[in-house]
Amino acid sequence: MSPEEAFSAQKLSNELSEMPPASAISLQMSIDNYLDVIRGVLDLFANKKEMDTIYVTATISSEAIKRVLEALDIDTSRIYFVDCISHIMMGASSAQQDDHTTLVESPTMLENLMLKVEYLIRRSESKDKLVVIDSINSLAIHNNNWILSEFLHILVSGLRSREAYTIIFSVEEHTTPEISNLVNLVCDHGILAGKKEG
Amino acid sequence: MPLKSGERERCVTGIEGLDTILYGGIPRSNTILLTGSCGTGKTSLALEFLIHGAMKNENSLFVSVTENSEKLLTNIIPYRFFDKAMIKSGRLVFVDLPIMYERLGMTKPELSMEEVDLLVASIGDLAKELGTKRLVVDSITSVCYKLKTSEKIRDFILKLGKTLSDLNCTSILVGEVPASSTAYSSFGVEEAIADGIILMANMERRGDLLRTLQVIKMRGTMHSRAKYVLDLTPMGVLLVPLLKGGSTG
Repeated sequence: MSPEEAFSAQKLSNELSEMPPASAISLQMSIDNYLDVIRGVLDLFANKKEMDTIYVTATISSEAIKRVLEALDIDTSRIYFVDCISHIMMGASSAQQDDHTTLVESPTMLENLMLKVEYLIRRSESKDKLVVIDSINSLAIHNNNWILSEFLHILVSGLRSREAYTIIFSVEEHTTPEISNLVNLVCDHGILAGKKEG
Repeated sequence: MPLKSGERERCVTGIEGLDTILYGGIPRSNTILLTGSCGTGKTSLALEFLIHGAMKNENSLFVSVTENSEKLLTNIIPYRFFDKAMIKSGRLVFVDLPIMYERLGMTKPELSMEEVDLLVASIGDLAKELGTKRLVVDSITSVCYKLKTSEKIRDFILKLGKTLSDLNCTSILVGEVPASSTAYSSFGVEEAIADGIILMANMERRGDLLRTLQVIKMRGTMHSRAKYVLDLTPMGVLLVPLLKGGSTG
């Protein structure tokens, strides 16, 4: 799909459905489609494919995403959040750690982020697993490209060896050529979710 | 799996990341100094080493020096693989060294050379009686405070290491160093005698405090010398490589 082509949740779902196991997918979206993309990805993998989904959020708090998913009637029982933004926003008291939410103190603690993902992967009893990174742009605010590139390489290689899917979100309007390059280096597939139809 | 010629049998720690760093585990019967400042995860790692041993039907002994073992057990990370039946069955045994001192009549603040020998013999006898294959002393630094001189410390660690090695027992001696220290041990003797040194530390990077682990030396095996970041979780100690792009050191 070209970036100019209109976005539809159904098209996205169809494209993602075709991805083979252990794929690393770069999903670039327009900022207008952000919530639709989250809904589309989580509905497909966590609900329809019944896959344990580890959602790393560095953009908005896990509490905010949970509220959106609840409003959209999406079952969150298979979704586990690694929230690296609530603590730094001093909102940790509202985002309580529970079985479904793990807090990382800061998005600069990339090793801790990897460790939390590793912990949830090990704990999961689901055969297939998905890890969503939301988003590379938010992580790039707090980290330089060198460390980000190293982080993606180690994380994605590890997930691929465990046959887990990885989806890395990036927002078209905030993405630089350098960020695109470091995502493309580790991903097998790229999907562009452009502007909304109509 | 059969060992290659000249390769030493391994004591698989069960801590996946550490076994990878050590190319398969600690060479069996080695005495390791597990050292670091407070809050770096030394006791948790040592305890997990024993729990994995008990799970593999290797009798494991924890010699607690500083903390009452009952208190230690209440503060233990709720490991998903820990089962209290290990303690009931005697696969995992906790002994408080202060009680042993008392029973041996070692009430003075400083131990004599004869008492050092008696202490080594008592730990050795206990390990033999229990058929111990994995042993932890937490901490060796506290024992050293009762020995005072370098000669006695050297003598104690050498004899203890030899006694345990003869029993084919792999041991971890937990050492404590101040956070500011660049040495691997408080008395400067422990590190020279041990077969291996595993250093645990807190590393500050741009205001973030990371727990790190690094194997400094390990006789009898190749090993990584890189620094790793660790997390203490209910699934055990997890390790990932320290990202170099942000390293200050």
